[in-house]
Amino acid sequence: MPSQKAQKFKKVLSLVVEPIALGVLALLFIIPTITVMNLSPITKKLQELNVLGANTQTTVSVTLVGGKHPILTEENLNKISDTSYEYSTLVAGRNADSYSKPIVEIKNNTDKAQKVSFYGQTANQTQSNIYLRTDDDDTAKKLQDDKGQTYIQEISVDPSSKVVVFLSVENQNGINFSTQFDMQIKVVENL
Amino acid sequence: MSKLLRRALKISIVPAILLIAGKFIGILCTSIIYNLNFQISNDLNGLFSVQIYYSDASTTLFVNSISNLVMVLFVALPLAYFIIKTTLYHTIAHNPRTIVKMTRFNMLRWITSKDTSFLTMFIWCAFLWVASGVSIAHTLQGSTYPWVGIVAGSLAFIASMFTIKTFEIETDNIYPTEHKYY
Repeated sequence: MPSQKAQKFKKVLSLVVEPIALGVLALLFIIPTITVMNLSPITKKLQELNVLGANTQTTVSVTLVGGKHPILTEENLNKISDTSYEYSTLVAGRNADSYSKPIVEIKNNTDKAQKVSFYGQTANQTQSNIYLRTDDDDTAKKLQDDKGQTYIQEISVDPSSKVVVFLSVENQNGINFSTQFDMQIKVVENL
Repeated sequence: MSKLLRRALKISIVPAILLIAGKFIGILCTSIIYNLNFQISNDLNGLFSVQIYYSDASTTLFVNSISNLVMVLFVALPLAYFIIKTTLYHTIAHNPRTIVKMTRFNMLRWITSKDTSFLTMFIWCAFLWVASGVSIAHTLQGSTYPWVGIVAGSLAFIASMFTIKTFEIETDNIYPTEHKYY
């Protein structure tokens, strides 16, 4: 009688265990597959961490926006130092009109507002007005007027925020030649 | 629980571990050898939260390709050993020359029924399909070099052919063909 009971118990147990074992077998295939897919590395800008794991970036970064534009071509941005950059572009021949393009993105990684100055001019006199604009403030800041007079302009960037700077070129008459435009970008001071 | 299921579970553990270990060792060794900076971070968007990050796309492509290749080789090499062993084990019964050759190369201990069953080969082959599938999927997504996907696919195809051959041999032992029976 007890052996019969034991056999019955064994039968019931095998009925319960078998589906679980099948599930475990399936998991032995599924888990490595998902793990391997998840282990595949991805691209992301690495953070600079200190020993405590806290992010302590204290710089203002300037990066080129890039992209294609029919008039403002061959853009280049060189980092001179942590607070100084040089931007250059070739302004192509154009009809009388106004042209604008996002050129650089300024990111304030500090916890204080930062002031950034811009000073630029064309290699030749083109009787064009050249302005700077930002994505958060549409006020035109004149860099060079149609007589060739240049002006220093400043843009303020709030803490932990970014600003996209646009370069605008306006001319009343058509211009048939290309000219180089160079601009110095400097982080002036903490406000 | 059936004997077959118990054996299948027992056999599946090693290739499952090797699959994960191959990928992980591939990433780790490539990063150490080529002195690449990587970061392990949390990403709550995926199925798992832990992610490995590299700073630029070309490095990610390189590391992913090499780690996929290492993962495929970690499963393919033991399977190749089983295939060779099974082939020798079955050839030896019909070809005395093979016995002579194996004696000359001091490989007689290879003639054993251990690790030569169809179940072992099928499970290892299934894991090779998984590894190749992942590599091919990554190749199609552009996150692995195409040649890695081609190598993985070719290895999986060759291994499948040998597994089918083993299945035929084993079924032949149970249900012999007429000319062998008579």
